[in-house]
Amino acid sequence: MKILIVDDSSTMRRIIGNVVQQLGVSKDDFDEAEDGVVAWNLLQKNKYDVILTDWNMPNMNGLELVKKIRGEGSQHRGTPTVMITTEGGKSEVITALKAGVNNYIVKPFNAQTLKEKLDPFFK
Amino acid sequence: MSMTQEEIEALMAGTSSDDTSSDSEESIDDILAGIDGITDGDPKEEESSSSESIDDILAGIDGITDGDTSEDVSNGDSSIDDILAGIDGVVDDSDNDNSTDDILASTNDIVEDTSSSKQKENIEPPRVEEEHKIVNQLNQVAEDTEEKATKIFDSLNYVLDEDAVLNTNIQSAEEFIEKQLDLLETLMQKFPNIAIFKENYEEAKSIKETLQGTHDTIEGINNNIFQAMEIMQYHDINRQKIERVMSVIKKLSVYLQGIFEYDLDKPETKIANHISGDNSPDVVTDDDLDSLISEFAEEK
Repeated sequence: MKILIVDDSSTMRRIIGNVVQQLGVSKDDFDEAEDGVVAWNLLQKNKYDVILTDWNMPNMNGLELVKKIRGEGSQHRGTPTVMITTEGGKSEVITALKAGVNNYIVKPFNAQTLKEKLDPFFK
Repeated sequence: MSMTQEEIEALMAGTSSDDTSSDSEESIDDILAGIDGITDGDPKEEESSSSESIDDILAGIDGITDGDTSEDVSNGDSSIDDILAGIDGVVDDSDNDNSTDDILASTNDIVEDTSSSKQKENIEPPRVEEEHKIVNQLNQVAEDTEEKATKIFDSLNYVLDEDAVLNTNIQSAEEFIEKQLDLLETLMQKFPNIAIFKENYEEAKSIKETLQGTHDTIEGINNNIFQAMEIMQYHDINRQKIERVMSVIKKLSVYLQGIFEYDLDKPETKIANHISGDNSPDVVTDDDLDSLISEFAEEK
């Protein structure tokens, strides 16, 4: 199971990384990116089983990244993507779902919520 | 319009909640109120503090005492000279028609000037320097807290890693104790009359319980660390709130720049120094004007 964690906050990346580790994923099996551009570059070189991305980030935000992932010709169109963000508005959730995210988590979240959301992808 | 995780779940399931009436958008005031150090200034408070400061200033000037001024004046010219000599920046510019009234008036002016400059220090914003630029400061706060949060996370991770080592060691000790218990149990059954086997068995049992207790304590510590890590999400959330305030300030800055903009090519019109109605002793009254005109007419 290889996971990509995208968030401009290093603290958030580590929090998510910790939960992912609790689910049995080793440190070597997840990569981190601080924005959509770095994430997209990693996606050109690697294949991931799940992508966990923040929304508000510099350079390329999470929504743009999701649209790119789901775009025509993308080799990651089928990769499950979860948005983990502070954006808790209904319209934002709808926008993200329309862009193609598979699930949506509002910060702050607890480890149990993240585990439950990721569980289907681990089976 | 903020959504709960349950509402998101409902939305994911295609049954969106209709409860959209609550509007949780914060106003600029709310955002500013959330930042330490940004407070509503109370001019009344400043006024009272400035009146206090006049007393402080007077107390700080050597030779000026709180008492009857006329009494001080009656002490003679020399004592007033002494007082004035003790006040920095006071020079003797008289020719020398030093009446007591003039001296007192000039002393009052000095006190007034000093108090008004003190007042300005409290009221006027600091000079525009890098450390006083609001957006820069907020940006620095966001960056610094990110750096410190990373260090806190390092410390928490260190404890977790060490706990993992302790747990491994405890597990090894438990496995050893378990074997010892099996061995001692066999020996107890074979040699029921040898008391040392029973004693060691009981001791090993007690050690096993202590190890189990230590293991549970470590689990408790780890759970607390995981909780602390979860709470650290607020670092990211608060950073985003700061970014929201920064965005408002940036937009305000552009707006204010625009609204105060003017055509630099146009020559600046001379501004009036004294306008009728100004509360200034330099503004002439009709009588002053007549007297000045007649005075000049006489001179001619």
